[in-house]
Amino acid sequence: MTAAILDVRALTKRFGGLNALSGVDLTVNSGEIVSVIGPNGAGKTTFFNIISGMFHPDQGEILFRGDDIAGMTPDQVTKLGVARTFQNVRLFPNMTVLENVMVAQHCRTRQGMLSALLRSPGFLREEAEIEDRAREVLSFFGTRLAGYRHDQPAFVLSYANRRRLEIARAMATQPELLLLDEPTAGMNPRETRELTELIGELRDERGFTIVVIEHDMRVVRDVSDRVAVLDHGIKIAEGSYDEVSSDDGVIEAYLGRPAATGEAAS
Amino acid sequence: MTAVTTPVGSARRGVLGDVTARSMLRRGAIGGLTVVFIAAIGMFETFDARKVIDPIVSLGYASIVWVPIMFGYLVSKRQELEGIEAPPPGASNVVSGGAVGAIVGFIVGLFLLIADAVHLRDIFLNISPEMRETLGFGQEPLMGAMLLVLAGAALGALGGTLHLLPERLRGPLRSALVALVLFNFAELVIGNILRELGAGAVDRLIYRPSRGLSMPAAAIVAVGAFLAKILMSGRVRAARDKVVGQSESAKRRTALIGGVLLVAIGALMPSLFGTYLNEILSNVGLFILLGLGLNVVVGYAGLLDLGYVAFFAVGAYTTAVVTSPLSPSFSPELAFFEALPWVLGMAAVAGLVIGTPVIRMRGDYLAIVTLGFGEIARIALQSDWLANLFGAAQGIIRISPLGPGQGAGIRVSYGYVLAAVGIVLLVIGFLRWRDSQRDVAPLDGVPSYTARSSLLLMGAGALAAVLGMLFPTFLTWTINGIDPPAMFRIVLVFAVLAGFVTWRLQESRVGRAWVAVREDEQIAQAMGINIVTTKLLAFVIGAMLASFGGALFAVKLGTIFPHSFQIIQSIIILVIVIVGGMGSLRGVAIGAVVLIGVLGGPTQPGLLREFAEFKLLLYGVILIWMMLQRPEGLWPSARRARELHAEETLQDVWLKDVDGEAEEVKP
Repeated sequence: MTAAILDVRALTKRFGGLNALSGVDLTVNSGEIVSVIGPNGAGKTTFFNIISGMFHPDQGEILFRGDDIAGMTPDQVTKLGVARTFQNVRLFPNMTVLENVMVAQHCRTRQGMLSALLRSPGFLREEAEIEDRAREVLSFFGTRLAGYRHDQPAFVLSYANRRRLEIARAMATQPELLLLDEPTAGMNPRETRELTELIGELRDERGFTIVVIEHDMRVVRDVSDRVAVLDHGIKIAEGSYDEVSSDDGVIEAYLGRPAATGEAAS
Repeated sequence: MTAVTTPVGSARRGVLGDVTARSMLRRGAIGGLTVVFIAAIGMFETFDARKVIDPIVSLGYASIVWVPIMFGYLVSKRQELEGIEAPPPGASNVVSGGAVGAIVGFIVGLFLLIADAVHLRDIFLNISPEMRETLGFGQEPLMGAMLLVLAGAALGALGGTLHLLPERLRGPLRSALVALVLFNFAELVIGNILRELGAGAVDRLIYRPSRGLSMPAAAIVAVGAFLAKILMSGRVRAARDKVVGQSESAKRRTALIGGVLLVAIGALMPSLFGTYLNEILSNVGLFILLGLGLNVVVGYAGLLDLGYVAFFAVGAYTTAVVTSPLSPSFSPELAFFEALPWVLGMAAVAGLVIGTPVIRMRGDYLAIVTLGFGEIARIALQSDWLANLFGAAQGIIRISPLGPGQGAGIRVSYGYVLAAVGIVLLVIGFLRWRDSQRDVAPLDGVPSYTARSSLLLMGAGALAAVLGMLFPTFLTWTINGIDPPAMFRIVLVFAVLAGFVTWRLQESRVGRAWVAVREDEQIAQAMGINIVTTKLLAFVIGAMLASFGGALFAVKLGTIFPHSFQIIQSIIILVIVIVGGMGSLRGVAIGAVVLIGVLGGPTQPGLLREFAEFKLLLYGVILIWMMLQRPEGLWPSARRARELHAEETLQDVWLKDVDGEAEEVKP
């Protein structure tokens, strides 16, 4: 397991009497695309929230490149190289598209107030670099977020574009691990296909390791190297898409127990 | 009155058109009560002493006459809807306006009769017999009431008639009115400048001793503005379009030139003004400085701080303690500029001490807690517990004396100024030199410096610093605290510095982080921004700017008491920021000029001395009106304007997208 970039061990989180996650293990290797699927309320987003530092786990370890990041604040986690998007898109609505991506580079830049006041060469160079990198990241989405859109406030964007901008913003934090929470939710089939390809490119061209929560099974099939299935906070299956999709436990979690005999499925 | 309840858009149109009796009654009642209110609180009578156009219109009448005219105009004003043809204006506008005016007059007349029959003065001190006489045109109450109805009807009809005027006349008419108002507001300014220029005779021609415009002057101003509007309107629009259509960099240059020009005018102004105006100016400058600081906290970082006055107090008291020979226990008797590092340090400490516990709260909770801290600061200063440091209610006197037996003041040694500039140059030179030593590819838009020029700059800086230190007093400027022109100039220097600092910070990664925190704190944190340090930084910078304000305030008065740091100060500064436009430097300046300059500060006089008693009322009215009509402020930042006009922005973007899509398809 030398290539494991993320190693989650026995992660447990309770909200009052609800076991949102109980003893979840997951290992993600560098350069992998892993999908996390499961019915609504299975604990997928909680899983992301804990990894990204927004919640702290009750028990368990989260090793990111060997460091335990459980209990760190979100900004520390992001600085270490984990970036995420949100299920219910959360941009900075009144900042422009470009500013949204520029501000995400905060933890990768370091010019202080004095150099900002004096406009030192280092400051000017860094500002230029921030802007260049922002434009470069946005160009990943082709013409979708190009040209005049850079100066539009984020709130005017279409739903699909907001999702794209969120991914761009996460990319701009220069992470190694990218957590995508339902990236294709609310997109039409054409947009979904386009994004499916882009997720592949994110790994192949940009070298990100990706964990993705997804409900669209075609997307899951097309992008994932491995699939983990959560149900009621417990990991019930893990393996390739084909293995998981024919697993009885998974089918039961999604569709319920067959009425008479136990052999109705597949 | 017959109830005509023709629905909007119906073909049936009586003499009242589609104006319902209900809406007439409502507007009439609101208008009537407004006039009664203005009369009952004494505004009418106080303002009556000042004329607007001598001798025919007094400010008192002006303060009520607008009511029937406006409501008469509004009652038949239709909302303009795109694609729906508005019916042409006609007699119905005049009749409904007149009816509304008559209702206004009727209510005021009723008030007059009631005030005559019942003794109201025990409660409403301002309902004096004189006021009633003036209001009733000097007639018997019943006669006066009837005249009021007639006058109201006439004025209301006049308001309704405005609809009949074509737009090309209405615009110039409006500017004539605005010009008259402005000339009245600016009576002190114009008169002062004319007198200083040795043209007192011209001043006496324009303004009568009652401070109103003389008849010929009023006629010239009104006709001049009327004609100017007709002749110039096309050109003004063309010029504005030209500025709006500029590229970003050109816009920036225009703004910079405008700013430099404004500061230059600001620096020249004190010489043209007398003491009173300079006093107003220095107050405006002080509040600009305070507003800029609060703007960082509220406008940029979105932290609603209602206890901002605490930092102002910290600045003032630190200055007092370290400069006054009479400060109760600890008294190093420093000069003003030696005190500044103390002030800055104490402000930073105060910012951290108050900021750290409250930084985790959001929105309303933050506002309430900071409100509490503001009061705690004042009460602590007032308490006997700290009396041997701050003098409790007696305050601290003899702040920053210029010498034994002399008043408060600031002595600027240009040697030290030179040294400070030298050090800044030295630092810039060093940073450039370090950059030149680095082996990096040149980037677009980033100047690259040679080691030689950087070292030269460092040398010049070092030379300036050494020379300044060696001959600190080769030139000095003594500012007496009670000398308003000099005070204004030094306040202007500090305000410009504050503006510069906040502008540069706003355009850096720190500024972006502030905006992100304001937009969505949780997400900002998830995007790698340390929200605790980011928010604390905003707090501390705001505190430092406020403390500068406090230091200047202390020197200006020479004496300070806890009483000067009431909660109302925090509120007024906040109102300046809101009215001007949150997050906008120019907005803060405009807000301070309009509120502090024209109306006056909480304890400071403004241009309109008659308004002094009603200042807070007018603050409230302005704030409410702004929130309804222009929530983004007088001169907002682009971001803020977009945010509060999301619908219009969306529409614009949609139109642009249609074009954009078309472009995308072409290749």
